[in-house]
Amino acid sequence: MKWFPSFGFQRRKRELQEEIDAHLQMAIADRVAQGETAETARQAAAREFGNIPLVQDVTRDMWGQAWLEQLGRDVRYALRQLRKSPGFSITATAMLAVAICANSTVFSWIDGTMLRPIPGARDTGDLVSLQRGERNISPTPPFSYLDYRDLREQNRSFTGLLAYHSDWITLTGGGETPERIYIGNVSANFFDVLGLKPVLGRFFLAEEESRPDAVPSVVLSYSLWKTRYAGDPQIVGKAIEIARHPVTVIGVAPEGFTGAAPGLRDDAWLTLNPLGTNVYRLTHRSGGAVWLIAIGRLRPGVGRDQAAQDLDNLMHHIVAAYPDDHLGDNRISLDPMWRSPFGANGYLAATLPILLAFAAVVLLLTCANVATLTLVRFVSRRRELAIRQSLGANRMQLVRQMVLEGAILSAGAGVMALVLTSWTSKTLAWFFPANAINLNLNGSMDHTVVLGIAASSLLAGMLCSAFPAWRSSNAPAMEVLKAESASVSGGARNRRLLSGLVVAQIALSLPLLLCSGLFLRTLKNLAGADPGFAQDHILTASVGTNIAGYSGNEEQVIRHKILDRVSALPGVKAVSFTDWIPMTLGHKGEDAYPEGYTPRPHEALQVYHAEVSSRYFESLHIPILEGREFTPDDDEKAPRVLIVDQTAARRYWPGQDPLGKKLMVWGRPFTVVGVAKNSTHMFVNESPEPMAYMSFFQLGYETIVQVETEGNPADLAPAVQSAIHEIDTRLPVFDVRPMRESTQMASIFAVIQSTLAGMFALIGLVLAITGIYGVVAYRTQMRTHEIGIRMALGASRADVLRLVLLQGLWLTGIGLALGLAFALGVTRLIARLLYGIGANDPVTVASVVMLLGTMSLLACYFPAHRAMRRNPVTAIREL
Amino acid sequence: MGEKDQYKNRIELLQGTLDMLILQTLQWGPQHGYGIVQALRLQSGDVLQVETGSLYPALHRLERQSWVQSEWKQSESKQRARYYRITAKGKKQLASDLGRWERIVEAIGSVMYVKPEESES
Repeated sequence: MKWFPSFGFQRRKRELQEEIDAHLQMAIADRVAQGETAETARQAAAREFGNIPLVQDVTRDMWGQAWLEQLGRDVRYALRQLRKSPGFSITATAMLAVAICANSTVFSWIDGTMLRPIPGARDTGDLVSLQRGERNISPTPPFSYLDYRDLREQNRSFTGLLAYHSDWITLTGGGETPERIYIGNVSANFFDVLGLKPVLGRFFLAEEESRPDAVPSVVLSYSLWKTRYAGDPQIVGKAIEIARHPVTVIGVAPEGFTGAAPGLRDDAWLTLNPLGTNVYRLTHRSGGAVWLIAIGRLRPGVGRDQAAQDLDNLMHHIVAAYPDDHLGDNRISLDPMWRSPFGANGYLAATLPILLAFAAVVLLLTCANVATLTLVRFVSRRRELAIRQSLGANRMQLVRQMVLEGAILSAGAGVMALVLTSWTSKTLAWFFPANAINLNLNGSMDHTVVLGIAASSLLAGMLCSAFPAWRSSNAPAMEVLKAESASVSGGARNRRLLSGLVVAQIALSLPLLLCSGLFLRTLKNLAGADPGFAQDHILTASVGTNIAGYSGNEEQVIRHKILDRVSALPGVKAVSFTDWIPMTLGHKGEDAYPEGYTPRPHEALQVYHAEVSSRYFESLHIPILEGREFTPDDDEKAPRVLIVDQTAARRYWPGQDPLGKKLMVWGRPFTVVGVAKNSTHMFVNESPEPMAYMSFFQLGYETIVQVETEGNPADLAPAVQSAIHEIDTRLPVFDVRPMRESTQMASIFAVIQSTLAGMFALIGLVLAITGIYGVVAYRTQMRTHEIGIRMALGASRADVLRLVLLQGLWLTGIGLALGLAFALGVTRLIARLLYGIGANDPVTVASVVMLLGTMSLLACYFPAHRAMRRNPVTAIREL
Repeated sequence: MGEKDQYKNRIELLQGTLDMLILQTLQWGPQHGYGIVQALRLQSGDVLQVETGSLYPALHRLERQSWVQSEWKQSESKQRARYYRITAKGKKQLASDLGRWERIVEAIGSVMYVKPEESES
């Protein structure tokens, strides 16, 4: 019993030994007392007692622990059987390990992102993300501070409601080059609502929330504290410099916490008005003051719908009290954090669950494949099984024994998958360019994933061994033992099971192939789509003028200097400014009220906006359809102007001339001076939203230099960077790169889904093909004798070829038919993720069916060919 | 495997009876395995020879069913041995076993001693 050592068991074994010894001693003593010699007494007593180990054995059976010992014996037996066929054991374990790993990898990504939306926060299941107005996959911050405060104070559904605004800024001081950090301007209850405790110092106090300070307070993230400040234990109370302004560190957030926007990293947190520059945003309800994202923690027992109703009522009162600030749609909707539209989870929630479903199909397919191997193996072991059956093993014992072999294989596969997943879970980050934005997405390997692996390997073990075991266990023992091998090649029932498993593999792999085909075509369409602007000769560079502590005037002077210096560089065709790059997962939105326009009920009166300078449209080759482009004269002193795109023009002024019309934004009128052709804002497959371009020198916030080059834009990057640094070496310059690199962000999720779907489909294809090959080859081999007789009786080689091929064709045909029905049902689920291609695109469907059909036919051809070339004489002799 | 099965079969055949005999023997006081064998042999006039391969499994099973309890004690000859004692539950079981046994004996007896003429009519 070294397999399952248990203290109680060992003690009882010793006691039994002692009990038997006592019995013998007393028997000997009695015999000696009757006059026998010690030696004869000992021998007689032992003879009388009988077989001691056997007595111990049958006695132990009464202890009720026998099953444990039995299990140990079964495990040893199973291991011996598996060792006997290492080819099968290794193949099956490896296949299962890959399939389980496919599942656990995707699951670890879901676990690390959607299931852990805010690392470090307490009970994220109770947190909900608030949205106002029309639901959007990528909404702009929905609340003004005053609206937020009203909701926070008057709601009855939340134990707390926090608000934050994400921004970026530079860390200056210490003579080092400025470092870009991502910050959150947060409400005072931010950390409390999330349930966080500081590692050092404290978090914000209620009275600090909107109060400006001469020396503002800052909370550092754990990683910033560790990397930039070497984990200084005395950091609390020290002064550091942010954008050349002194701030005091008051605390350090716990390890792992990186802010409240899922998947996005914050490095530090400040209050809502640290420098007193946000007064407008704290005292208004519209016009640039709508800047906060809110997250609430539900009271125990309050559901999401109930809370939404509560907030909706409150919002209704707010709208009634301040109607001018709340035109358009103001309904509140709540999302759980796993699919919160703020941050990355919204995108992941659309992609990852579908990939997990694909992975599950791969696992099923693998189980079907391993089950065929197992069945064939049990058939070849039928003599052994028959002997055990005739020696008294009942069906349950045989099934248990065989299922145990499957369970051991899948447990081994589970362990392998565990090791693999600890590495693959971290590969999600590979898809994201390292320096793009503050994306902080990766899989995680925690106990949930381990449990998932355990569950799926258990399931796989059952699936791939239970059917074959049940089937093989009731072969009539007498028949098997009497009969010769060829006549009982498993019988009709096994043949049906084998066929069923092959059909299942083909039917399961078809949807995988079809979906991955559709995804690949989507990716190709996305890459080939015209975004409405030319980006191949554009270099962009982000200059931190706004975050490095310059005054407004200094900033404008620097911008003009940049324009002059960069324009003078050789190889530069045109230089312009913008504060937004399209197709980078971000956009800016603002409430806008078109003059003379009556909104439809619940229409969100929001426009996307970007501030661009003269020559912007020219260098991106976006045609101005009416009116004019911006000129250098559209500066702070000039009247506010804007250029709308076709969507905005058509929506707000249908059938009218938009030129000269007014749009109220931030409470100020802007005059339309031009209409630009539509171009892509975020995704090629987006539904167009109205866009308003404003003049950079009137409203530009961030400074992004956009350079149109004659040659390869990457070549000019060092020259542009040094030209900017010549103006002021302390100017932070980031993300100097060709525009095409930045706009790749827009197709990242398409890349993830097509890469994984493609990998899964490839695995599926290989499994299905090897599956059908294996079964046809096996069956043909079993029929060697029969084929030999047919040939001897005059069947031609073509007849033999036809015989074998037809068998494979039948299986393929049924598999394809079932698979097609399944696939066409499944593709409707991914229709949302496709672009430029229908979910049932006939070309893709036809080519996938052709591919799978041809491959299976080839797989059947080889065994058929081999059978055809057999010498009938040797074939007949072979049994 | 075969040999072990052989033992098991005998236990099967004797089961009800052996349990009853053991419980009956323990009526007169706690006894160890060897003592039970000797007692049964003596009281049956050397007819009943209980196999150890049946006795010990039976004792351990009876203990699991709480019909007997065991403890380690010194025998009269200073031999440490495991003594079995019948429990209240065991006594109840013995009574019911005895009742069943008597009915079986009676039933078998009435079959075996039937007068030939009566059976023919």
